[in-house]
Amino acid sequence: MSRGNFSLTAFLWAVIVLLVVYPLSILVVESFRLAESGGWGIHNYLEFFQDTYYLKTFSNTFLLSTLVLVTTTLFGIPLSYILARYRQRGKTLFTALILLPIVLPAYAGVFAFVIFFGKFGTLNLLLMDYGIIRTPINFIYGLHGLVFVQSLHLLPFIVLSLSAGFTTIDPSFEEAAEVEGASGFRRFITVTLPLCTPTYLAGAVIVFLWPFTDWLTPMILGQVDFLPSVAYINIAYHFTDVHRKYMGIVAVVISSLVCISLFLVARWWVERKKYTGLSKGTTSEGRVIEPGPVIRSLSTLYTLFISALVLLIPIVLGLAAFSRRWVFEPFPTHWTLENFRAILLESPLLIQNSFVFSFIALLFGMAFGLPAAYLIVRTRVRGKDALDFVITLMLAFPGIAVGVSYMLGFWEGLLPLATHWIIMPLALFARRLPYFLRMAHSSYLQLDVSLEEASEVSGVGKFRTFFYISLPLLLKGVLVGVVMFFIMAFQEISTAIFLYRGGWETLPIGIYLNWHRGMEFGIAAAMAFLMIVITFILLLIISRVGGGVLKAAWGPGTK
Amino acid sequence: MAFIEIRNLFKRFKKVVAVNHIHLEVEQGEMLTLLGPSGCGKTTTLRCIAGLEKPEEGDILIDGKPMLSQGFVPPSKRGIGMVFQNYAVWPHMKVLHNVGYGLTLQKIPKPKIREMALQVLDLVGLKGLENRYPSQLSGGQQQRVALARALVRNPKVLLLDEPLSNLDAKLREKMRFEIKSLVKRMGITSVYVTHDQAEAMVISDRIAVMDSGNVAQIGTAEEIYKKPANRFVADFIGTMNFIPGEVVEVLKDSGVVYVRAEFKEKILCRTNTLERMTPGQAVYVSIRPEDVDVLAEPAPARENVFKGTIAHKAYLGNFLYFFVTVHNTMIRVQVPHHLPQEEGQELMLSLDPQKCVILS
Repeated sequence: MSRGNFSLTAFLWAVIVLLVVYPLSILVVESFRLAESGGWGIHNYLEFFQDTYYLKTFSNTFLLSTLVLVTTTLFGIPLSYILARYRQRGKTLFTALILLPIVLPAYAGVFAFVIFFGKFGTLNLLLMDYGIIRTPINFIYGLHGLVFVQSLHLLPFIVLSLSAGFTTIDPSFEEAAEVEGASGFRRFITVTLPLCTPTYLAGAVIVFLWPFTDWLTPMILGQVDFLPSVAYINIAYHFTDVHRKYMGIVAVVISSLVCISLFLVARWWVERKKYTGLSKGTTSEGRVIEPGPVIRSLSTLYTLFISALVLLIPIVLGLAAFSRRWVFEPFPTHWTLENFRAILLESPLLIQNSFVFSFIALLFGMAFGLPAAYLIVRTRVRGKDALDFVITLMLAFPGIAVGVSYMLGFWEGLLPLATHWIIMPLALFARRLPYFLRMAHSSYLQLDVSLEEASEVSGVGKFRTFFYISLPLLLKGVLVGVVMFFIMAFQEISTAIFLYRGGWETLPIGIYLNWHRGMEFGIAAAMAFLMIVITFILLLIISRVGGGVLKAAWGPGTK
Repeated sequence: MAFIEIRNLFKRFKKVVAVNHIHLEVEQGEMLTLLGPSGCGKTTTLRCIAGLEKPEEGDILIDGKPMLSQGFVPPSKRGIGMVFQNYAVWPHMKVLHNVGYGLTLQKIPKPKIREMALQVLDLVGLKGLENRYPSQLSGGQQQRVALARALVRNPKVLLLDEPLSNLDAKLREKMRFEIKSLVKRMGITSVYVTHDQAEAMVISDRIAVMDSGNVAQIGTAEEIYKKPANRFVADFIGTMNFIPGEVVEVLKDSGVVYVRAEFKEKILCRTNTLERMTPGQAVYVSIRPEDVDVLAEPAPARENVFKGTIAHKAYLGNFLYFFVTVHNTMIRVQVPHHLPQEEGQELMLSLDPQKCVILS
């Protein structure tokens, strides 16, 4: 092992210890503190598992996770089959629309649906105007609304993972089943779906863990009896009642444990079940089916329906953003730019903060992710597997755990980082640690090592080889990673909400404060709309980078 | 009537014609091989027989029943067994379930399925491996599972798509004979696709050589090797020398054709392959390297004798190859080891008139 690699590993581990291990262990330690005696013990945990209320939140969260997973799976299977297999007009557009919620902030969706499906929202008002119903229907407030909103937000993960399965399984597996006498449906159940389970699970685990992370959606929909919401309320609202604060921390630790263990079980299962068959001579797009007229119209209607639900988010937020006093009317009547004026003139700091914090977090992410990807893919440094493991684990950690642990760990004492604004980008960076690394990692895997070896043989050192050969060739994957990281950091709320002080607010925090506390719907909607526009522009850049000039230069199999 | 009849089959992928109006017949119990380079349409033809591709035109009859003209019959209803190039052994099922899959769909009682599957597994030499998952088997064993799965339902037709191409050379050779004897014993009509001519020659009763969507020639291995129908077949099967020339004289009664090459006024050919030949026609005199004789000294009694120079000499294990230049023509000659000539030396060659095939 070279000395350079060794010091690089040491540096990366130091960062992880400081920004991940240290705060998270403080979190765990704090959960054992007792409010009454000031001592330590497992009483908080005992109370958690004996108190019927906490147990109820625990089982509620499990119930919600299960319902969301079942819903997304039931809707996702036909949807991803249609998108992956059927030759259909406008497939690219539909796919883009259906995947959109991945990059839209979850809270933006909630706000839009509350405006549209609320008790006196557009849909109810329209139905009442036309005399179809007399009293408003409760579409959204309650468990069913929560399941709906979270399912729509998480559907893309199921669609992505299932269609990855549908397109990558070797077509001859299915052909063999047909030759053996299985009809279309029978083949789908006995061969196609089982072969997709490994890729499906990768998406399913993200979906299942989401209700253990998302505290905001339940709160907006008037449902607080879920683990993350209870944790948030206990910690953020009850700072005077120390015991409730500790119970909140216990809730955070327990959700984290659930997330981590489910994540690890899923990972282990996927590794065990990976079906790497011989797949010579398979087409890159997999099987494509020419559906009959009935199936074709049904599948088009179905994709249109889901796309319309997704499109509601930007449309409704747009209407709300450009209007004033939109209450008790199906559509706004007073159009104005007042909301944007308020944002841009009265609080330009929010936008500036969002950009600055995300940008600094991105710099941290690159400075950390590139060397880490290099170490993991290209070297045999001891401890690199552990490094990879810890970083990947961050995928499963709830944002609330990162936020609370930073609040506890960096408030005072040895490292009072939380008194300086640098804590904001640091927390964003720690929260999204794996994202950039994953992108760099996968493009590194595709980069033929002999290209680098050729450079070293020509007498160029490792460091220069990286900058002259590897980095330019990795650029495409890295750029996509850069933009995705930026989008994710830009939307982050669950971590930042615990750490901001006056003057450090970001756009998501602004949305939350204006909506939830200030009841300024218009301004919140305008902010959310602004975020969608910014995200959309960034996405355009990705698609340009991913599918344009750079793809032509380095993309695989361009013709 | 033939057991499988392919009539005027036409299939294209967008603008590329894969199968161009071909006719083929396979007799009951016969093993026909579709042989050709990649992209010649052999796999597409096989997949049309299986029902995995829908051709634009033509019809396929299996045991007298049309598969296309009276409504498309899906693969599941054709009563065929198929072995795929990459085996397509389902990784999420045990060997026993892989083999029994088709039987469960026929609503056969479970103990009976187990019995039938075990019997076929025994037949292909996989006894005792029925509870393994495919990932616990070697490539050769997976191949046998695929074969067992195709045979267990006792199909009317067995289709094999390059089944041996993923195996190593030794195993491939062994499996050729195993597959042949098994299929022959069961008397199944089968169509075998390969690009390996040695495999085709060993395994099949008849070979159909395909070239860019057309059937170039059908016949036994010997017919195709000795009497190739055109330059493509002659070139694709084995090694062939092509000597360009022009027909000088056609003696219909004695079956003799004289061809003028750049280095020899008259090459005598007795193979009588081209009946519609006229003097002045541009042709190739084709002869295999092993049919060219090397003479120690000029022999006036022999036909088609001329002088050449050894340009290269190659050692190929069981024999030597001379690359002999005669004026501007290069002729490959297969000779025994002990010939003393070296590169640069002159020698006399003789072409056996019985083996000179004239191709256009």
